[in-house]
Amino acid sequence: MAGVAPRMLDRALAVVPPGIGIGLRTAHYRDLLARERCVDWLEAHTENYFGRGGYDLDVLTRLRERYPLSLHGVGLGLGSVGGFAREHLDRVAELVRRIEPGLVSEHLCWGATEGQAFNDLLPMPMTHAALQFMSARVAQMQDVLRRRVLIENVSSYVRFAGDDYDEAGFLNALAARSGCGILLDVNNLYVNQCNHGVDAAAQIDAIDTRHVGEIHLAGHLVTDLAVIDHHGARVADAVWGLYERAIARLGQVPTLIEWDTDVPPLDVLVDEAAQARRRFEAAVVRHAA
Amino acid sequence: MQLERLQADFAAALIDPLRESAIVAALDLRDGRTAERIALYRGNVIAAREKALANAYPVVRALVGEEFFSGLARAYGQAHPSRSGDLNRFGAAFSAFVRDFEHARSLPYLSDVAALEWSVHAAHYAADAGALSRGRLAFFPADQLLGARFGVHPACAWIESTYPIAQIWLAHQPDAAVPLPQRIDRSECALIVRPRWRVEVVVSSPGEIAALALLRTGADMESALSAALQAEPDFRFAQALVRWLDHSILIDIHPPAQSESPSRE
Repeated sequence: MAGVAPRMLDRALAVVPPGIGIGLRTAHYRDLLARERCVDWLEAHTENYFGRGGYDLDVLTRLRERYPLSLHGVGLGLGSVGGFAREHLDRVAELVRRIEPGLVSEHLCWGATEGQAFNDLLPMPMTHAALQFMSARVAQMQDVLRRRVLIENVSSYVRFAGDDYDEAGFLNALAARSGCGILLDVNNLYVNQCNHGVDAAAQIDAIDTRHVGEIHLAGHLVTDLAVIDHHGARVADAVWGLYERAIARLGQVPTLIEWDTDVPPLDVLVDEAAQARRRFEAAVVRHAA
Repeated sequence: MQLERLQADFAAALIDPLRESAIVAALDLRDGRTAERIALYRGNVIAAREKALANAYPVVRALVGEEFFSGLARAYGQAHPSRSGDLNRFGAAFSAFVRDFEHARSLPYLSDVAALEWSVHAAHYAADAGALSRGRLAFFPADQLLGARFGVHPACAWIESTYPIAQIWLAHQPDAAVPLPQRIDRSECALIVRPRWRVEVVVSSPGEIAALALLRTGADMESALSAALQAEPDFRFAQALVRWLDHSILIDIHPPAQSESPSRE
């Protein structure tokens, strides 16, 4: 890319390792730059680095020299029929070329109509037609980026009547059709279990292990109306239990701790990562045995 | 297409609580309290937009208070909904909206402060550029300086206001050394610069802004200087040049094109 000085990137940092990462948040920039490497990898929200230049992009570029990185999109809205923006996808591609992340991911959701963007991860119906539509969009994304992407299951407050698939079935079929991988968000499965009575453990048991490239963990908020996937607390015990079940099946899958609301000091995230690592290592032994 | 219809119905319910019936008919009602669940999504959209605006307009928010800002953000979101999956782009028309917002009439400077904040926001994400060094300028032939053209930093911007907007902005920064202005009926020019990563606002003058505006169009220094003097008769070129170097406003220097012979005979 013109205007960007060639850099020597450490090849070992080009791949997100089977280990525990945390979400990169502005509040932790200074600590992460000042400290020794404190987690195995970092995941950045793609849209936060859409600037042509500036501080955020500089920090990401510097951290790229020390940590394996994943770029996690929250704004493309792959499932949007009317409001899908090719320009947005091109910006993702530009950033991917610049950062050369180990993983690139987006969500199984929609987010815009022709008139406006809602900037939220809105639920898709799990129908044959939606699968066909999503497969084509994921294929388009992979064509433009010239690489495989991971697609994440989302949490939802409502679900549609007349679905043809459950989430695991939909994700398995999407991966088989488009060649994408699956980013399995265990907290989202649990939230949907609370909100819709879907059996999260059964979903984990049904997911096609060959396709899962990453796991997400986060905290949620229990309210009287619904469980809200707010990423503002420690991982709940029930979710840890599901995580153990998932890695017992999947083995060493890169795992991320996400925290977006009331972001605590970096040490709290590093401690959550240690909690995940303890289970991760124990489960790997079981998986290998 | 059925999926498109479904999303249109969902969108209608997100925009207007009175237009929920179509999407509710398509939902699985076993979850119960479906309308309230949809309202959670509606609340998310409003909250995300308000958060994005608060991030870009902290001084406007401080000036009007959190509660008023909340209402302002909601009204803005209805008039100018987000059109991008990148929320950092939401809020571009906020200054114009505030200017016409009836309930903000008592704060006539609010719109210009908003325009200043949008420039600060944009400067944060603008492209990087290396500053023109004093050394490079020192080696540049002095007799060619007036004919030279200069690159202006992509993050650099300016706003002229009939209110002291730079001082208002400066007074609202953490550990501000500048007090709020005593009187607001005083015009001021604000210059937005980003020497490295941190965006700064400095009080400018009509001459400086006239000069930078011309330089950015690719005009030579002589034209820029004459525009500056026209806008501000006691404009001081040498001082301005030092300031432009100090704030990394100039990024490049191009010698005058080879002078063509004045006569073709």
